[in-house]
Amino acid sequence: MGKVEVKKKSPFIDMTAMSDVTVLLLTFFMLTSTFLQKEPVTVITPSSVSEEKVPEQNLITVLVNPQGKVFISLAGDKDSTFSSEKMRVELVKSVVAEYNKVHPNANLTLNQKQVNNFGSTYMFGLPIKMLPQWLEMPQEKRDELIDPNKSEVAGIPIDMNEDLSKPNDFQIWMRAAYNLSNDNLQGAIKDGKGIAIKADQTTPYSVVQVVMDNLQTMKMNKFTLMTALKTEGD
Amino acid sequence: MARKAKKYQKEKDVRVDFTPMVDMNMLLITFFMLCTTMIKSQTLQISLPSNEKVDKAEQNKVKQSEAITIILDSELDKDGVPVKDFVYYYEGMPSVEDANHDGIIDNNNMKEIQFLGNANGKAQGIRAVLRERNEQVVKKIDELKVKWKNKEMSDEQYQAEAKKIRSDSTLKRPVVIIKATPNASYKSLVTALDEMQINNISRYQIDRINMTDSAMMTEFLQQRLKNKK
Repeated sequence: MGKVEVKKKSPFIDMTAMSDVTVLLLTFFMLTSTFLQKEPVTVITPSSVSEEKVPEQNLITVLVNPQGKVFISLAGDKDSTFSSEKMRVELVKSVVAEYNKVHPNANLTLNQKQVNNFGSTYMFGLPIKMLPQWLEMPQEKRDELIDPNKSEVAGIPIDMNEDLSKPNDFQIWMRAAYNLSNDNLQGAIKDGKGIAIKADQTTPYSVVQVVMDNLQTMKMNKFTLMTALKTEGD
Repeated sequence: MARKAKKYQKEKDVRVDFTPMVDMNMLLITFFMLCTTMIKSQTLQISLPSNEKVDKAEQNKVKQSEAITIILDSELDKDGVPVKDFVYYYEGMPSVEDANHDGIIDNNNMKEIQFLGNANGKAQGIRAVLRERNEQVVKKIDELKVKWKNKEMSDEQYQAEAKKIRSDSTLKRPVVIIKATPNASYKSLVTALDEMQINNISRYQIDRINMTDSAMMTEFLQQRLKNKK
């Protein structure tokens, strides 16, 4: 009987095709992705059927955690003269100036390094008087200080103030953001697309109401609420 | 003559092993998948009236037959986190009249209801109530939707037409007043606003809860408790 010939198989598998696929996938992810921005609190937004997307440019996000701590972030324009970073630099300068006007004894000053540090910070949530001290800290310390689980002082001070000649910190921020040199942001705020409130679904209404009330007082009575998508059937 | 050693050209393997490359790519993909947001958040646009004090005389009065008030409330656990949402509503004017002075409101027209969404293809709970009151508009919009789904009109046309129908004053349209107690969860507020979108209600507003409403609510809850016993 003839010997059965066993074919010698090479133990190597050709990985070229696999590599092609993975590179394609990688390219896809790199092109479509927007990175998650680090936020001091994670919130689960309630869902709605609204299909309007959150704008990427010219947006002030007001993040509210269930305990009523408020954080804000600012996104600039596509146009690089009004980029997020430049807008934040301008914002922090005018906020400090405004704060000094309201509190004549405060004498807050920021040096160039601190101002630039603010420019690269995504979200802010502390009393304004702590700004210089906070911006001097290393990154981890800063994250810790605005995390409401780890720090007592986190959150922008906000109350039911209706007297705009003595604005609270939140009002100072919003007013300054409104008066930035970026006209597109101002237009967006007037249209009701420039301010988005992002609150957790378990937040009591009284907490959200304080924020809404402040916005109303400043005549920014058109704004959007951030939600997740659901279908009408649910 | 010495035989020249024949030079063999070494046969090189033309294949390159791609396994490490694949490994690395997979790692990178994993990284990107974990660090990215694919789903973008949606937004719900609202506009509130400005906070300026308005004279009683200048206030817009809502027709009684059109008004429907939704009151949102939630039960909080000991950490102040809402655990259960309640919805109450009444139609027309609130009434706290107590003619026979027995401490019980005579005609408490408040009812309890829930956000149930759709079940078996029919609207349930508060959606059914709102849909019924906005029937004329909903019907027209549904007709329009069929046309749009059959590609008889473009998206823009559909949106424009729908907007026209929603604000058509010849149709019977309700005015919804949403009032939330301080305890009400943000989720129920958004759900309530969402119902306005679903039911194509164009006239709605968020208002503060007032004495009358809270009196009616307390009363309603007491009565219910009594009936249970």
